Amino acid sequence: MKKLLVICGTGVATSTVVAVKIKEFLLEEGIPVVISQGKVMDIVRGIEGYDLIVSTTPIPKTVTIPVIQGLPFLTGIGVENTLHQIADALR
Amino acid sequence: MNQVLEQISQIFLDLGASIALPIIITLFGVSLGEKLPRAFRAGVMIGIGFIGIGLVIGLLFGQVGPAAQGLAERFDVTLDIIDVGWPASAAIAFGSQVGAVSIPILLLLNFLLLAVGLTKTLNIDLWNYWHFAFIGGLVAASTGNFLMGITVAGIAMVLTLALADWAAPKIQSHYDYPDISFPHGTSAPYALLAAPLNWVFDRIPGFNKLKADPDSIQKRFGIFGESMILGLVIGLVLGLAGFGLDDPRADIIATLGLGINLAAVMLLLPRMVAILMEGLIPISEAARTFVSKKLPGRNFYIGLDSAIVIGQPAVIATSLLLVPVTLITAIALAPLGNRVLPLVDLATIPFIVALMVPMFKGNIVRSVVGGAIVIGIGLFIATAMAPAITQVATNSGFQNETGGLISSLVDGANPMTGLFFGLGNLGWAGIALLAGISFGFALWVSLKSKKTAKAKN
Repeated sequence: MKKLLVICGTGVATSTVVAVKIKEFLLEEGIPVVISQGKVMDIVRGIEGYDLIVSTTPIPKTVTIPVIQGLPFLTGIGVENTLHQIADALR
Repeated sequence: MNQVLEQISQIFLDLGASIALPIIITLFGVSLGEKLPRAFRAGVMIGIGFIGIGLVIGLLFGQVGPAAQGLAERFDVTLDIIDVGWPASAAIAFGSQVGAVSIPILLLLNFLLLAVGLTKTLNIDLWNYWHFAFIGGLVAASTGNFLMGITVAGIAMVLTLALADWAAPKIQSHYDYPDISFPHGTSAPYALLAAPLNWVFDRIPGFNKLKADPDSIQKRFGIFGESMILGLVIGLVLGLAGFGLDDPRADIIATLGLGINLAAVMLLLPRMVAILMEGLIPISEAARTFVSKKLPGRNFYIGLDSAIVIGQPAVIATSLLLVPVTLITAIALAPLGNRVLPLVDLATIPFIVALMVPMFKGNIVRSVVGGAIVIGIGLFIATAMAPAITQVATNSGFQNETGGLISSLVDGANPMTGLFFGLGNLGWAGIALLAGISFGFALWVSLKSKKTAKAKN
């Protein structure tokens, strides 16, 4: 199963919003995935073991895993597009 | 009117937040057009989040209390007020008398301000209404007047929206986020404070040339960013200082225990808040849909949580450096009257500096010095507000069995919270002054932005 990490400033506030939306969408699409949440300060020294990161905040250069911008989930503009992008990356 | 309100809030107090909030949230959700089962599930989830936060705070109290006491006895350093951090502060705020009741009222107020043009920001981030509820809850508890509390919460929102509007052009251009502003109760007031500090820094010869590189700081100080490890290290150091080594076997066990328990608190507390947050999402979504239906096509800023700028390299670097600086500052200021021991909110420093950094144009040296100044002053505010925060916490159902005081950096040390609490306590005269300041500032900002808009055309 693919592993997805959702990152934001606290690992709590906006990442929960994003994680819930992604979870609902991927369930409908039938894509199995394990979603974890984290805060950007925890990964400044780099991180491994995930297939994809969706982040609402910029990610440090030390991180080499592919990143998708999660800001659309908060502003409500372009959500569908981002969801499909995430689904494609995890298929 | 006031009597009815007070009776309602008394019922909530008797029920306690973990019972009252599920009921309020369910009703609020349904009235915004959410389906009953989904709204009810959200309400229950929020109640569970509350219970979880209470459990972890209990752990924090039990662990840190004895060590802080030992610290006072051995070194004559009185840092006996425990920083329970923003997760607890937010829960205390929503569980206070003003708490959940304030969400629909404040949303309506934002609506009105937008309609009359006193703000350009629509704060759809219902979660962050806790900052206003926190201020209102403190005032309600210390004046014993519910109406005063809710009024002050409303005025706090007026000022925060105005601050968001004021800072928006600078922040939008620095971070390149169009049409977004940050009406975030923690970050926005510090943006205002950064402006005069930057003016002063510009005029200090030598200092005004200093710069630092974010990447190398991230590499060297990255360890301070991992809150789990940070909790462990602070626990070990605090244990060693507080328990000593008089009885090596017992003291080492106690110290190791404090280390692993503080690590647990740092990891678990935000997780508990995530449960609370998950409960709030369906309501927040319903509110967003509701609002966008009522205000179609109007040009406004979308108000977001400043969490989205935390990842900026300069913000991370500044925050990493400020972790040790804050601890040293707290100890150094103890003889002058600071009693707050910074703990949980060491992980929340990014929110204090998030909007200061763009005011300093991303300069890390200035951001660290500026951050240390505002946090240093904030420690005295947090000390002064500790009795009121502790009382509201107790009212919300977070009992400190050991009887000690609690506070936080976010928002206990917030100068805006301090100002509103201080003036709010003076009664209606003080509240009128707050209203004057806030509406005056909002009017000035809106006129200024209209002028710039005209100049552009």
